[in-house]
Amino acid sequence: MTAAISPLEPFVDPTADHRVDRHVWAQTMAMSKRSVIAIIRQPALVVPSLVFPLFFAALGSSSFSRATGLPGFPKVDSFLALTLAASVIQGVLFGSTNGGAALAVDIENGFFDRLLASPTSRISILVGSLAGSSLFGAAQALFFTIVMMIFGVHLYGGIVGLLVIVVAGALIGLSIGAFLAAMALRTGSAEAVQGVFPLLFITLFFSSAFFPRETMRGVYRTIADINPVSHLYEGMRDLVIDGLSAGAVAKSLLIPIAIGFVSIPIALSQLRRRLKAL
Amino acid sequence: MTASVLANAPSTRTTLFGASFGLMKRGLQRILRLPSAFFPALAMPIFQSIAFSGTFFAITKIPGFPTDRSINWFMPLGACMGSAFSGVGLGFALIGDIETGFFDRLRMAPAPRNALILGPLLTAWFRTVLVVTAVLVVGFILGARLTGGVLGLLTLYVASLGIATMATGWGLGLAFRFRDMRGAAVMQLGLFVSIFLSSAQTPLNVMQGWLHAVARFNPITNVLRLARQGFVGELTWSGSWGGLVAIAVMGALLLVFARRGLDALDK
Repeated sequence: MTAAISPLEPFVDPTADHRVDRHVWAQTMAMSKRSVIAIIRQPALVVPSLVFPLFFAALGSSSFSRATGLPGFPKVDSFLALTLAASVIQGVLFGSTNGGAALAVDIENGFFDRLLASPTSRISILVGSLAGSSLFGAAQALFFTIVMMIFGVHLYGGIVGLLVIVVAGALIGLSIGAFLAAMALRTGSAEAVQGVFPLLFITLFFSSAFFPRETMRGVYRTIADINPVSHLYEGMRDLVIDGLSAGAVAKSLLIPIAIGFVSIPIALSQLRRRLKAL
Repeated sequence: MTASVLANAPSTRTTLFGASFGLMKRGLQRILRLPSAFFPALAMPIFQSIAFSGTFFAITKIPGFPTDRSINWFMPLGACMGSAFSGVGLGFALIGDIETGFFDRLRMAPAPRNALILGPLLTAWFRTVLVVTAVLVVGFILGARLTGGVLGLLTLYVASLGIATMATGWGLGLAFRFRDMRGAAVMQLGLFVSIFLSSAQTPLNVMQGWLHAVARFNPITNVLRLARQGFVGELTWSGSWGGLVAIAVMGALLLVFARRGLDALDK
């Protein structure tokens, strides 16, 4: 019977077609809720993803505040304003790693197999995990923006700019979370998922997230120019320091969506591969 | 394996140095047997030197910045960070030994207690020399120049070994107290924070605000000044002695912290 069912279809009674959609939706919501609760219940994982970006922002604003007068720097009230977007991206990368690792832990401890043995939609397992990363990404974006506003950052993009930043946080969480979920499904190892983090960090570092591209030269500049994280960061940064513009909104939202167009199919293919291997 | 290493050391009742060298040998064998555990400590400072000097290239243009080569500023930081992680890496390894029960067998071996501190310390020093040399090679390829003469290399190695000593004391002390992987997070966090709350990214005269107030009193600032002596101007005694004192005092305090942790484990 199993052979007749696509690996991604829910394991439900085929005679009950009219109830399938409702079941899948309910199961996806339940898995999403579980994913969010799993994040909240692990403060040891959550706190660093909130504290470290703020620490680096505080450090940068004190270390590099005099650099804002250098040629190539955009006109900005303070260095802290430049770090808001970088903090969001950095924090969401941290958080997404945790989401991927949580899925890997489910595989390691056999919970994933128990889910498969139950009449649960296969898609809902993946979507639930990604929903957790996405919601956490949105919460992080909101948190960093509020904290930095308390410390004097003026958000020129206003309420709409804030909304775009929060949605961008959710989309980054979703798209990067999909890469990490793919890694978790491929390897079934939380350690391997955590091992991806340095690669994400390198991607972040070889972008304009910490210093404007205009101040770089040589190969660093070339890498930063082609790194999509640079353009994502610059879109979000412009919402903070310049205000709303179509370009800034497009960069902030479309780049993570484009990344998601690559990462989500990869995650789905890895889910399919794992299910076929059973 | 280590128990046999200790038993085969030069004298019948193992001497401090015999046992320590036995433990050091074991630590070095781990590099060959488990390179994945050492690789991050080697790769991370190289990456950091490259990434920081490229990303923050423009800060050399800030008036008062002591060098016009960002690699000259960030390479010694990378070397010190790598040395620090070489040190705390021994703390991670110790946690593993405690969890598997192997450390209990080491404690029962007829060897001086201090060897259980000195052995990992010697391993950390050896690893540090490897890391600093690798960082230097990459740094010179990327255009670093010695401005303070060849003695500048010596100050970099001394500062790096000093930081490795502090980190080893910190790592072992926490491993003896936590006895599980919770200690690893505290080790890394403490190290990270203490290094970055110093002149790690910019010199004191360039930084502003709260960080300046903290970095002025952070002993790591003096150690980094010592490390950078040969790369950001002339090598001077006034720029060196603070770092040497910081290494001596902090190194001694943190090794005592480790020894007291070992004593607490015995109780």
